[in-house]
Amino acid sequence: MKNVKILCVCGSGTVSSAMVANKLKEKLAKHGYAVTPVEASPNSVESALAAGGFSLIACVSPVYKDYGIPKVNAVGLLTGLAEQQVIDDCLKILNAK
Amino acid sequence: MSTITKDLIVCGVKAENAEDAIKTIGAYLINGGYVKDTYLPAVLERETEYPTGLQLKTIGVAMPHTAGIHVNIPAVCVAKLSDPVEFRHMGDPDTKVQAQLIFMMAIKDPDAQLDTHQKVMRVFTNEEAVEELSAASDKDKLYEAAMKYMG
Repeated sequence: MKNVKILCVCGSGTVSSAMVANKLKEKLAKHGYAVTPVEASPNSVESALAAGGFSLIACVSPVYKDYGIPKVNAVGLLTGLAEQQVIDDCLKILNAK
Repeated sequence: MSTITKDLIVCGVKAENAEDAIKTIGAYLINGGYVKDTYLPAVLERETEYPTGLQLKTIGVAMPHTAGIHVNIPAVCVAKLSDPVEFRHMGDPDTKVQAQLIFMMAIKDPDAQLDTHQKVMRVFTNEEAVEELSAASDKDKLYEAAMKYMG
């Protein structure tokens, strides 16, 4: 298993990001990634990223600023409609590392 | 403890718009002592900044919520509107969602209540559950469906 850190961003930095964090952990484990999720609100992205080592940012609230770390729109994980698309987007970024 | 209690199951809510829906449904959480008076204004403000509408395959839903400081007792109010109202979509505020099922969450400690989130989330991704909840014609049927999939 490869260890990866993913920042999960939602409005309050709690509820939806926790859902996303769990989903990513579960789904990406099947592809050989051990995900360490960190949850943040859009206002705390910068301070959360300061810890370093993040491979990507999974957002369910818009993050407009470019932090030099790839972003994935993770809303599909909440609706289940585009779940695979979100996972594919993440894998594309993770596999390229 | 079950996520679902019957006094927080509401069917046939009439609402003009999202704000109206949040106020009407939130009143059940306030009257039951689940949340503080500050809960409603906080949810409304949060919904403006970080909308919670989600377009599912067949219907639109919304899951208004706010920070734990406004919550006394963790709970989820499951409400079905008589007619959908417009919410803005999570992650993309320019997209509108006609939401008819509202899962209003009173979350006190997100880490301790992961189970609750997961139950709500599992409903969103479960077509059968969404179908049964949206087909519920009265409080009893909505309660039954909510218990079945979220209890």
